[in-house]
Amino acid sequence: MTKNSNRDIIVVKNLTKRYGSFTAVKGISFSVKEGELFGFLGPNGAGKSTSINMMCTVLSVTEGTAILNGHDITRDKARVREAIGIIFQDPSLDENLTALENLKLHCVMYKVDKSVRMQRIMEVLEMTELIDRKDSLVKTFSGGMKRRLEIARGLLHYPKILFLDEPTIGLDPQTRSHIWKYIMDIKERENITVFLTTHYMDEAEYCDRVAIMDHGELVVLDTPANLKNAVGGDVIRLRTEDDEMAVAEIGKRYGLAVTRDRDGISFSVASGEEFMAPFIKELPVKILSIGMSRPTLNDVFLKFTGRALRDEELSSTDQLRETMKRSRAGLRPFGRS
Amino acid sequence: MEQILYIWYRDVVKFVRDRTRLASSFVMPFMFLILFGNGMGGAIKSLMASGRVPAGLAGFDFVKFMFPGIIGMTVFNTAIFSALSIVQDREFGFMKEIMVSPVPRVHIVLGKTLGGATVALLQGLLMFLFVPFIGIKLNPGIVLRVIPAIFLVAFTISSIGILVASRLKTAQGFQMIIQLLVFPMLFLSGAYFPLNGMPGWMNIIVKLNPLTYAVDLFKKIILEYDKMPEVLRQAMGLNLQVGGHLVTAANEAGFIALFGAVMIVLAMWSFSTVEQ
Repeated sequence: MTKNSNRDIIVVKNLTKRYGSFTAVKGISFSVKEGELFGFLGPNGAGKSTSINMMCTVLSVTEGTAILNGHDITRDKARVREAIGIIFQDPSLDENLTALENLKLHCVMYKVDKSVRMQRIMEVLEMTELIDRKDSLVKTFSGGMKRRLEIARGLLHYPKILFLDEPTIGLDPQTRSHIWKYIMDIKERENITVFLTTHYMDEAEYCDRVAIMDHGELVVLDTPANLKNAVGGDVIRLRTEDDEMAVAEIGKRYGLAVTRDRDGISFSVASGEEFMAPFIKELPVKILSIGMSRPTLNDVFLKFTGRALRDEELSSTDQLRETMKRSRAGLRPFGRS
Repeated sequence: MEQILYIWYRDVVKFVRDRTRLASSFVMPFMFLILFGNGMGGAIKSLMASGRVPAGLAGFDFVKFMFPGIIGMTVFNTAIFSALSIVQDREFGFMKEIMVSPVPRVHIVLGKTLGGATVALLQGLLMFLFVPFIGIKLNPGIVLRVIPAIFLVAFTISSIGILVASRLKTAQGFQMIIQLLVFPMLFLSGAYFPLNGMPGWMNIIVKLNPLTYAVDLFKKIILEYDKMPEVLRQAMGLNLQVGGHLVTAANEAGFIALFGAVMIVLAMWSFSTVEQ
């Protein structure tokens, strides 16, 4: 991170979004340094996209504001728009135009100087390996190719800040790693500030700093390493014949705080290897399986929210909330996200 | 300026590429002009043959009469439905790409309106392929006047479409509202029958309908009102009067331009203030 300056390129102050009585984003505040790779981590419906859409000026702000590259998102929309690039969660290409036409259109919209236009288009096409397909209609592209084209497009006007809203959602692992390679390359080469939302743990690991978001609030914000240290040592995870009794016993014998979820129980100790051997002998409940891991961001999430970070574990209220949010936004409630 | 041009270009390119749409655009005009027009024309002729017909009325050809109305219908439909692309862009997500860019909203509306108007002009001009089959004689004077007239009408109608589209989120919603507009406006415009002997209430609605003046303008240009015998003007309902004043082609063009200006300003305002 040698290239990082100390300038705060994004300053968010009490950013709030309300839909009627439902508050999607509850007054979040934080700042991002220039050149940083910053991530919003959280389950679907946590308010990540809503926050990003407000910062990108496509969604109105209920309260508070954000300053991007020195411009206020509520007052100086045009200047903010010039400074940012965004890759939306949902596709936003014109499928009836060719790849080249989509890129040209973008250059025109952002007033990229005519003299450098073709050169930049070729550059991004080359980088995303789409140069052979530049004259094909976008509707003939695969999901991964469309995503790459969107990333190529987002970079054409050399934005100061690049927003990526779930950049690899629904893509196969190979395409995902490809796209990450491009993102890291660009960030290094152009010193672009990258702001990303994701619900994939491994993607959050790439970030310089991660903010965990849940139910419209920032739960915690730090570097992935610090967050993992905060979990405290190694995580021991086990399944027993009687989880309830095990939780009580561990609490009583070792004075440890135990988290219980569908997959069993887990807790963290300073040094897992030394702890485990006597523990297995001493626990009066029969152990079905036991394992130890260094903490991951999933454990961090678990610690700060009390839940595991998984799509399928959205509670019914979360799903309702999601549906409400979409129908208010005028989207079909059961369409793809 | 280049931004407006590219938004315009996008609509025109897509129109040219869409061959199916191009071919199907001939279906409705063919039905009205050739099937309905000839059927109705024959019936009128046989009616006239049975009674005393004033001299000069022998030249009344219903198919010829209908042709400018069919141009009106085609231009109207194409122009107003071109705004559907705004709603579709919103549904398919492309609108977000435009809205997050620094392009002024006003440029988007202008580009879209010009795009819709150009496509409607091209579509309207394609209808002139029917000309050899219906016995209308064109001359350079007609062509030079009809092209700007069609474009003016197309631009005005496009603005109406965009005003409607600016606040709608689904294609179904847009189509429903537009259908509610299209049929009454077309039927009460004089596109399908001469505006003679209407009941008083209908006469009022016809005179309030902006499309009436567009269709009448096309009739006056294409059928050469200036060279027409008075009795034929009467029979074709071309002596349109508003408040006792005989409406001229220039009045009509002026009114359509003014109406278009109001519509596009409203569309710009609506599009700029809506939450996308």
